Amino acid sequence: MVAVLRRRVIPYLLLGPGTFWLVLFFVVPLYYMFKLSLETGIVGNLEFNWHWANYSEALDLYHSQLVRSFIYAGVATGASLLLAYPLAYAIAFKAGRYRNLMLFAVVAPFFTTYLIRTLAWETILSDQSPVTEFMHAVGLAPSGHVLATSFAVIAGLTYNFLPFMILPIYASLERIDIRLIEAGKDLYASATQSFLRVTLPLSMPGVVAGVLLTFIPAAGDYVNAQFLGGVGNRMIGNVIQSLYLSQSNYPSAAALSFVLMALIMIAVVIYIRFAGSEALMGEEAR
Amino acid sequence: MRTRRAGRGLATLAVAVAGLAVAVGIGACGGGDGGIEGGGSTEATAVKLESKPSGSLTISNWPLYIDKQTVPDFEKATGVSVNYVEDINSNEEYFNKMQPILAKGESGGRSIMVLADYEVAKMLELGYVQELDKSALPNVEKYLNKNLRHPAFDPERSFTAPWQSGMTGIIVNKELAPEVKSICDLFDPKYKGKVDFLNEVRETVPLVMKCEGVDPDKATEADWMKAIDKIKSAAQSGQIRRFTGNDYAQDLTSGNAVAVIGWSGDAVQLQADNPNLEWRMPTEGCMLWSENMFIPVGAPNPTAAEAFMNYVYDPKNQAQIAEYVNYVTPVEGVKEILQKKDPELAENDLIFPSASFTKSCSLTPIIKGEEEQNIIRAFDAVVNE
Repeated sequence: MVAVLRRRVIPYLLLGPGTFWLVLFFVVPLYYMFKLSLETGIVGNLEFNWHWANYSEALDLYHSQLVRSFIYAGVATGASLLLAYPLAYAIAFKAGRYRNLMLFAVVAPFFTTYLIRTLAWETILSDQSPVTEFMHAVGLAPSGHVLATSFAVIAGLTYNFLPFMILPIYASLERIDIRLIEAGKDLYASATQSFLRVTLPLSMPGVVAGVLLTFIPAAGDYVNAQFLGGVGNRMIGNVIQSLYLSQSNYPSAAALSFVLMALIMIAVVIYIRFAGSEALMGEEAR
Repeated sequence: MRTRRAGRGLATLAVAVAGLAVAVGIGACGGGDGGIEGGGSTEATAVKLESKPSGSLTISNWPLYIDKQTVPDFEKATGVSVNYVEDINSNEEYFNKMQPILAKGESGGRSIMVLADYEVAKMLELGYVQELDKSALPNVEKYLNKNLRHPAFDPERSFTAPWQSGMTGIIVNKELAPEVKSICDLFDPKYKGKVDFLNEVRETVPLVMKCEGVDPDKATEADWMKAIDKIKSAAQSGQIRRFTGNDYAQDLTSGNAVAVIGWSGDAVQLQADNPNLEWRMPTEGCMLWSENMFIPVGAPNPTAAEAFMNYVYDPKNQAQIAEYVNYVTPVEGVKEILQKKDPELAENDLIFPSASFTKSCSLTPIIKGEEEQNIIRAFDAVVNE
């Protein structure tokens, strides 16, 4: 009897601290923010009156930044995937004794702050830097500058979120049972075939996780656009920040935050549907 | 094998869910203080002073806005212990941070805050500022610059005393943009992609109005919108590289920008690092502003606060601050003191601008109510393009 009780109660006790944390720091602010998004007036004198027009007005003014955020995040995620997969593959299968060193190199940038890393790019891409002069010379920077363009913002996003793509892919590649690949070869599969039919499908959980971990924060990011972007490169995160901090327009900022959250949720649900939840969780999810 | 794989699958899911929570959290951050209710009473309270300053005093100010010696000197002279906090980085940001507690009639332990004219105007209207007792401020009465005595937001200086003033004009790289002499020149296609504008609506837009020949003091909402449209098309054509705060310094020193709208005090410091950089008075005139000390509602120890205000208005003490910060000092008599100590500084037009130097300058305008909201919304849409 006691054993049964214990088996029933303990899981809930284990859930307790996490649930408490989520309710306190996620659900409660979310409730206040939702309320705020339907208020009118100026700071110090806001009034709650179900003002749904906050949403349509904010979208009307800032829909292009919203679309731009998703495009930037999408391109950055694609670029990260293209860079990360071969690298993760090399670390998992080809690195030999350098494996730990290479993993360390992937994580090393995290020892400095996000802000400093982004500011470093501001220097690397400044107008008179060798990088910019080279790109200009080979025709990659027709306007004469790289900084303050969408290319710079996307490059910054790709760089900053790359480790979030590499690590999950590496983790799933590293755990592939090598005997499965050998079995494929025994059955006369070519290298390409065994990659496409064995390695790639088995690494999908890592790819799906990596895509989510890169795309979601990239879509809400504002630091890269702030430092590396110029006119015409602002993302929705910058707009929300400016509405909160410089315009004191809390209701519109809250409304846009909700729209962003909803759009990200929808994108993620569609993606998981498309990619298959079993790819994310392994076969057992079926 | 089976259990191990299940574990891996779950771990991957957990990572993904954690990522999702973080991302949503980014959207949610800052939403915690949603329940902003009506402000404090709009009826101003006046400070009540004791006979002698004592105890401790907390002052909120902007970074690098005072020399290292003034605070210890004041402590020695009065016996008050000062907690000097450099926690103001932006007028709006600071206001938004403090507003919820000010609305409750508390000041977060601070007895002096320093904010721009228009921000103080807003706080005055909300009743967040205490009326000063002028009997404890003889130095302010005696030495406050004549031009700063009757601002529209506080006509008799009953609530505020200027901390420092400054001018907004253009900062150019003499080598790369020698011909830029006016705000209109910033729109010259020759400098396409090499020009930064300030993201300050009350400075950038009136300067552009001046280029259009409109007097900002007499501007209608339509004039504001017209100037904002001009800025918008310059932004869209790629003429304006980006909208910045102080960070134009980075663009100027790395050569990313050759001419920007910028502040006089910054230019004095930038020039020390790079002699090619120079602040220029636009031919159309500049924008003049000041940042003001005031005592917020609920402030502890107003006696010590007023003693500090009076102390920094002693020209001798102010000279020490002026020498360090390089903005325009609001205190008369400082120039005479510095002429002996540091003649070069005393002759610098950026620190002691003569009346003829600033004759076509305008004070930063106070815009209000719905007009203010419309103007800020339009400008921010351009800045956030």
